[in-house]
Amino acid sequence: MKIAADRILGFALMGLAAFIVAQSLSIEVPFAYDPVGPKAFPIGLSILMAIFSLVLILRPGPEGDWPSASVMLQLGLVMVILIAFAFFFVRLGYPITAVAAITAIARLFGASWRAAGVTGVLMAGASYVLFTAVLEISLPTGLWFS
Amino acid sequence: MFDFIIQGFGVALTPLNLGLAFSGALLGTLFGALPGIGPINGIAILMPLAYTLGLPAESALILLAGIYTGAEYGGRMSSILLNVPGDASAVMTTLDGYPLAKRGLAGPALGISAISSFVGASIAILGLTLFAPLLATVAVQFGPAELFTMMVFAFASMSVMMGKDPVKTALGAILGVLIGTVGVDSGTGIQRFTFDIPDLYDGIDFVVLIIGMFAISEILLMLESRLQHGKTGELPVIGRVFVTMKEILYCKGAMLRSSLIGFLIGVLPGTGASVAGAVAYTTEKRISDKDNTFGTGDMRGLSAPEAANNASAAGSFVPMLTLGIPGSGTTAVLLGALMLYNITPGPMMFSEHPKVAGGLIASLYIGNIVLLLLNLPLAGFFARVLTIPRWALVPGIVILSFVGVYQLHSDMGAIYLMLGIGILGYLLRKLNFSLATIVLGFVLGGLMEENLRRALAISGGDTNILWQSGISQGLWAASLLLILVPFLLSRLSKRKAQTA
Repeated sequence: MKIAADRILGFALMGLAAFIVAQSLSIEVPFAYDPVGPKAFPIGLSILMAIFSLVLILRPGPEGDWPSASVMLQLGLVMVILIAFAFFFVRLGYPITAVAAITAIARLFGASWRAAGVTGVLMAGASYVLFTAVLEISLPTGLWFS
Repeated sequence: MFDFIIQGFGVALTPLNLGLAFSGALLGTLFGALPGIGPINGIAILMPLAYTLGLPAESALILLAGIYTGAEYGGRMSSILLNVPGDASAVMTTLDGYPLAKRGLAGPALGISAISSFVGASIAILGLTLFAPLLATVAVQFGPAELFTMMVFAFASMSVMMGKDPVKTALGAILGVLIGTVGVDSGTGIQRFTFDIPDLYDGIDFVVLIIGMFAISEILLMLESRLQHGKTGELPVIGRVFVTMKEILYCKGAMLRSSLIGFLIGVLPGTGASVAGAVAYTTEKRISDKDNTFGTGDMRGLSAPEAANNASAAGSFVPMLTLGIPGSGTTAVLLGALMLYNITPGPMMFSEHPKVAGGLIASLYIGNIVLLLLNLPLAGFFARVLTIPRWALVPGIVILSFVGVYQLHSDMGAIYLMLGIGILGYLLRKLNFSLATIVLGFVLGGLMEENLRRALAISGGDTNILWQSGISQGLWAASLLLILVPFLLSRLSKRKAQTA
């Protein structure tokens, strides 16, 4: 049997279906409010999902083109930047993290250091003013500004 | 019966709402024209910011509907000028639009597509005004059992019409429904699939879901395509955007036929602009392509999908406003937006919230005229948006996504969830899933379960209630036909091919 992305997906979804059924069965319903209850719907859907997953395993579609290892690395990098942005968002405050995140992403998308830095400072500054002054959203400023 | 539209114009013509319809149209066109951002992305990114303005429900909806219709206009720019469709619904536009631009007719091509869009939208909005209240009076008699079968019908038509792969369409819809079951069960108050994570108690937030699914995954796809294909194409010379009366008359048949097709497909629950454009184009090719000019830059080939796209956009409001069932992925997003305002669209919309329903429809009339007036003289300006480099665009999307989610939740858990959903969305898109099916599943699933359980509570567990009424039986039959007919047809054509 050829390994195809669709087959992996099929097995993953089967596993998910089994997991959901197990989870649903373990839901404790202290009192029957309606004849169906909270378990039946997810269980029914999981069975449907398992059936369609089986079709996918038996008859996988054409293999799409998946990114090469180096592209994958770059995709990972952009996710790391986004997670770091989220991690420091409150801790360091919006202005500083936004400058860093915008510069890093612009760089990753092919801007020169100079263009990326200028974009970072301008976009972070302009968006901060827009969000806080115009839209009245309160954004974290970080410990040293408070 | 049509009091609502008069009242609606009263709402839509207030200075605030006029301004919102105008800014929505402008913002939507700009966002739609941005490379890689289609209507759904545009609404997903701008929706949380619309909340911060503290607008009443009808005003927020007017703004979002303006963005929706505007984005349909803007999306055609990159199709015609660069041969890069902004989303699935714009694929058909590239077939004759890009050849026209290459022949130096970019200006007239943009012009004819603006006029076709206007005609398509006008016919469909008129249809919406006439049929929505009629359908609503019928739908008022729908009980939970009928609503449940209606959802079954919606899923059936979705699995047939959307995407090339019906198995993945079904799986996408199921996944969407399952994502919707996370959180407190509304029937019993019991936690489902929350795993004691407080962030999940209220369920997966709609805004977090769609921003993750669409915006974050789009960033990954953009990076991937940049690394693989390098630079995007050069912008052709546009020149003056004008259309001669002769050209309009040349396209009038295509325009009118496609508007009707688009409206009807828009009204069908679960099918949206991508289907409408494809059906209209193939129909028009069959009817008018006598000299085999379609695909080489025939204006009628551009006019047909453009009229159909915009007609289906307006048509998809019919099931959303009358049945609470979105007619397309984008209306599913709008429906989610309404629910955040504690308004559940459905047959009672016209009697309980006439301001919202009427105001929305009236604003569609206004927005449509605004869009035509904006797009003819300003097409050159909007086209310039296409040249914004990705490295400046992507950080902007990131900032809007982060702040949009943060201001709704003031909680980083929601942002991490958004990023996780983004990775999931990227994988699903690489696996050829249509994200619109997941969003539709998410929005419809909760209603489906609720109505099923309500129906069975009424009957005391007797499942006969699900096929007792004539309406239910008709819907079951229609759903079966929708699923079986294409299956049998493909079987038949295969057999023919084998014997031949």
